[in-house]
Amino acid sequence: MNGNQQNIKLLLAEDDAMLAALLKFRLEKEGYAVLLCKDGKEVKEQLNSSLPDVIVCDIMMPYFSGIELVAHIRNDLRSQLPIIMISSAGNEQNVLSAFELGANDFLSKPISPSELVVRLKREMSKV
Amino acid sequence: MKPKELISWISRVETLLGEFSFEELDATEAKTLKNSFELFKEQLHDTISGNEISNSKLSNTLESNCYTTSRKPNSGAELIANVSHELRTPLNGIIGFTDLLKEDSLNEAQMVHVNAIQNASSSLMDIVNELLEYSKLSAKRELFDSVHFNFYRLLRDVVFLCETLIVQKNVKLEMLIDPSIPEVLVGDPTKLSQVLLNLLGNAIKFIEEGNIDFKIILEKKKEKELLLEFTIADNGIGIDESKLPFIFDSFRQADKETSNTYGGTGLGLSIVKQIVTQLGGAISVVSNLDMGTTFKFQLPFTVGDKTQLRKKNPNNNYLKDGVKLIKGTRILVFEDNSLNQRLIERRLKKWDCVSFITENAEYGINVLENQNIDLVLMDLRMPQMSGFEVSSLIRNHNSITVSQVPIIALTGDFTIKDKEISEMHGMNDYLLKPYSPDELLLKLLKNKKNGRTSENSKETEQPLDSKTILEVDKFSLDHIVEDCMGQLDLVEELISLYKENVLEFIGKIKYYLPERDFEAMGFALHKIKSGLAMMRTNSLYEIIREMSTCCKTTEDTGQLNVLFENFVSEYPNVERQIDAELEKLKIG
Repeated sequence: MNGNQQNIKLLLAEDDAMLAALLKFRLEKEGYAVLLCKDGKEVKEQLNSSLPDVIVCDIMMPYFSGIELVAHIRNDLRSQLPIIMISSAGNEQNVLSAFELGANDFLSKPISPSELVVRLKREMSKV
Repeated sequence: MKPKELISWISRVETLLGEFSFEELDATEAKTLKNSFELFKEQLHDTISGNEISNSKLSNTLESNCYTTSRKPNSGAELIANVSHELRTPLNGIIGFTDLLKEDSLNEAQMVHVNAIQNASSSLMDIVNELLEYSKLSAKRELFDSVHFNFYRLLRDVVFLCETLIVQKNVKLEMLIDPSIPEVLVGDPTKLSQVLLNLLGNAIKFIEEGNIDFKIILEKKKEKELLLEFTIADNGIGIDESKLPFIFDSFRQADKETSNTYGGTGLGLSIVKQIVTQLGGAISVVSNLDMGTTFKFQLPFTVGDKTQLRKKNPNNNYLKDGVKLIKGTRILVFEDNSLNQRLIERRLKKWDCVSFITENAEYGINVLENQNIDLVLMDLRMPQMSGFEVSSLIRNHNSITVSQVPIIALTGDFTIKDKEISEMHGMNDYLLKPYSPDELLLKLLKNKKNGRTSENSKETEQPLDSKTILEVDKFSLDHIVEDCMGQLDLVEELISLYKENVLEFIGKIKYYLPERDFEAMGFALHKIKSGLAMMRTNSLYEIIREMSTCCKTTEDTGQLNVLFENFVSEYPNVERQIDAELEKLKIG
């Protein structure tokens, strides 16, 4: 497929196994090196060992919410890496707080993988 | 709870009943209605004026299992709870009866009155339910339900759930029911399924391959009182003998390792024991390391009555729309019982459907050939030729308009085997007797659109409201296939994850709903949403949305229960549609 995203390390934080499987498949097709985390705790541990190039992160997750993770990345880790949030429909309030804390973009469920791919490319081109 | 509010509703119902003219009704019908109201009023009067209700009176009027009656009400709250139960029985009668009245040819004025009685009774019912809920809470202990329920249906539901949990493992679950156990029992179906799901779930958890035998026998019978024995035996890892005595203790699993490997809080078995004991039963366990474990428990029940079964009550607004949608549908009914023939004819006529009713296969096929039939309702047990055989005849007919007509099986008793056989004979769906008009309508709507009529729509076809929850649109996996870029193995993986998610969800709600744990339910509801949206199984999604709202706002367990039951009964249909679509993809 499209190999031009080669070597981009993408951290995918999604607790729903179905959505995670679908997105991982598609992103890998696009050439991203995808690292999957199933909850907020795993994400934090991963971030402490090494930072990815970009994060796709669900807002509602066990242990640490996506919002907390955005705050952690921007305030504690002082990193400006692109963050795309995934939100459930009807959680607009959360999306606003995520933006305020420095998230770059968001998508509402149900997610279209193709749309995510386009949005990712856009964010990566800004880096 | 305000007695004043209650009293004003009572007098309202009373006035309405007084105004109602019983002249044109069958005398016995009218008497039943009046009697149930008298009984209701008497009970209520006793409650409000605070009269002590003696135990003997309780047992005279209340059909309940031995557990509830043997307990002497010793607190105000408990008394209220018992009495509320009593109030519900006759009130149920009133509501059910007005249902029946509405099916008679009432004149307009009578109809207005019957509707008013029904509305007022329903409001009254809500209040009584509220009262019951409150007293349960203030008594700070669980009160057990005592309702008529379909025992076999409950077992089927439980086994259905468990079977789907073991799909991934090489485990065989076999159920054996003593056929002398009656179909309808009185007891607490929610608690029973909680116990069974816990024990079967445990067995499944601790076994990688082998057998789980689930056996139910009638241990003792004395008139209407039954003692049933449930046995759940597995040949899994077993439990060390020294640890067996503590197995029912709270927060204790066989050992630390177990909880690390298999998870869980260790509460399951202690809850199971509590429930069984409080229901008046006993539980025991026998186990050998590496040989397996056998749980055995006995529970008392009373023989139930089919006519007292709780009706499922889906939202009526949708059904009103539904009636509009099936107007003009041409339905062929195979039914041999003349009473049932009349009943169904009347019902279908009420919905402006065109019906043809017969017990004769030859005549039926003739109707199919000439009358442009949209749908067939098929009684499975008919004297000359079984419903299965007639279905095969239809499916093998050389005219495509005949051979593709949707067929719904009608049956009083439907086992997993019957399900397989009916599918083998090309039947699309089934409806268990006795069914409510609502249930029939739902089945008609569901099958009518999925069937032939969507393609060959006639000019008389009603425009469809796409927003209706009945989700009559054809289900398709196209969007998922597109998302997966045509990769079928991924589609399959997603579908199996979807099924796992749904079953996990059902298990959770079954557990949390009786516990009234709204936060845990809210989280489970949230989790399942994304998968349902992804698969675009909209009918299920709608139910989940409503349940979420309910959890966040009213916390009405009654409504949650109804919605959840709808979900559980709808899910197998959705799964069938998904599987059928997947099969098509694999072939095509």
